[in-house]
Amino acid sequence: MSRESVERLAAPSLLIAVLVIWQIATAFAHPDFILSPWEIARHVVEALWSGELLPHVGASLARSLPGFVFGSLIGVVLGLLAGVARSLDQLLSPVVFLTYPVPKIVFLPIVMLWVGIGDVSKIAVIALACFYPCFINAYYGARGTSTIMVWSGLNMGARPSQTFRKIVIPSALPLVFAGLRVSLALSFILLFSTEMINARSGLGFLIRQSESSLRFDLMYVAIVAVAALGYAGDQLLLLVRRYVLAWQEAIR
Amino acid sequence: MSVRWSDTAAAFRRMALLVVGVLAWETAARSGLFSPLIVPSVTRIGYQLWLLATQPDSIVEACYSLARALGGFALAAVVGVALGVLMGRSAPVAAALGPFFSGTYPVPKIALFPIFIYLFGIGSLSKVLLIFLECLYPIVITTQAGGRAVNRVLVWSAANMGASRARILRSIVVPATAPFIFAGFRIALPIAMIVVIITEMISSADGLGYLAMYALASFKTDRMLAIVVVIALIGIALDRLVVHLRDRLVFWERLDSYYAE
Repeated sequence: MSRESVERLAAPSLLIAVLVIWQIATAFAHPDFILSPWEIARHVVEALWSGELLPHVGASLARSLPGFVFGSLIGVVLGLLAGVARSLDQLLSPVVFLTYPVPKIVFLPIVMLWVGIGDVSKIAVIALACFYPCFINAYYGARGTSTIMVWSGLNMGARPSQTFRKIVIPSALPLVFAGLRVSLALSFILLFSTEMINARSGLGFLIRQSESSLRFDLMYVAIVAVAALGYAGDQLLLLVRRYVLAWQEAIR
Repeated sequence: MSVRWSDTAAAFRRMALLVVGVLAWETAARSGLFSPLIVPSVTRIGYQLWLLATQPDSIVEACYSLARALGGFALAAVVGVALGVLMGRSAPVAAALGPFFSGTYPVPKIALFPIFIYLFGIGSLSKVLLIFLECLYPIVITTQAGGRAVNRVLVWSAANMGASRARILRSIVVPATAPFIFAGFRIALPIAMIVVIITEMISSADGLGYLAMYALASFKTDRMLAIVVVIALIGIALDRLVVHLRDRLVFWERLDSYYAE
């Protein structure tokens, strides 16, 4: 076998080996809270048909998507503007960079106190967490714009708004997408933790509830759904990026 | 004297938004429009902060959180750097493990917390291992990128001069990867703080996350906000520490991204 084919087969065979060992190990003896891969797969299909899963997926998405969209939109817009406008940069950047390492989940209790225990508090905390990576990446993306390109644009009579739209935004886009990817992963982490802390619906709630009522099958189903959602969201974002940044691939 | 004054003015301008925010908060608290349960005044939060800083109990709780976060982070740093360097320098290892890491990277590992509780108990171990798992990914991925980006001319020269593989790894690969490793640490450390607070909020009887939820449940908003300030300060301090260590250890490369100022 050639070196390439060995490398191509390495990852799938590792995955299959892990699953087979897991399956065999559970066949002998296992505690109630560990299910075999085959059982998990069967329960996932069952839960999809029985309608135990989909309402919770919907509830989770209704929280994470608005949070992600609001937070990252504000982050990208302010980040791009702070990258080009010095006054805004001086006003915003020090505070944003100072508070960046603060774990945003600590604001959940305060926000809960202000806007109630419902969905709004969760959306607000998710939006807050998504704001930071987007702001920072958009900021560095805008600041990294080639000065010569901006000068050429201005020299050829472009207005500042045109320079921003046609030069700054395209050259910041790769970093903006990097920020969006981080924000998306963060939004899922925060979604499930806020739902685990307090919620009456959603996948985080489903995991907690099925765990405490010893419905381990449902717990695994929810965990698989969480993993699938995170993975699907990431792939979707990469797809959009490939479409939007097609010109960048062409240059490379 | 004039120089010092302009320094103060610059520092004030940098923190203008923060100062305005605190002033607005205090005005709202004193206006009488809101109950002190919802917007407690800055002085009351400050008093609670003083209590937190002077009571041995609360310092013990902070140490619990810090020990968990740093324990999980340290474990992830050791394993992550080793795996990342290995994946960056060896194509078969990268081919075997790379898809696993990139495939499960966007999956929130926090969902595994209930299973971890069953496997490792409700105490510190399950939290430390979850922090380890969440921190592992950014460290492995950035270290691998760094390992791949090592200038091959340097490796060739060393090999040509008769350096052993271990020597090349120690004297060339690890130093050349160090900036990337620290970039990974800087992403991972806030994640460690997030996860420790979350897990303590969900299930714990100690730690700052538990303390915050307890204060909220007993409607001591001022105390809860003081805890939030403490958690924020710890997050900022840990981040500064990593930046400081990075500047000392990787002195030959300037930190450009993520606030060099």
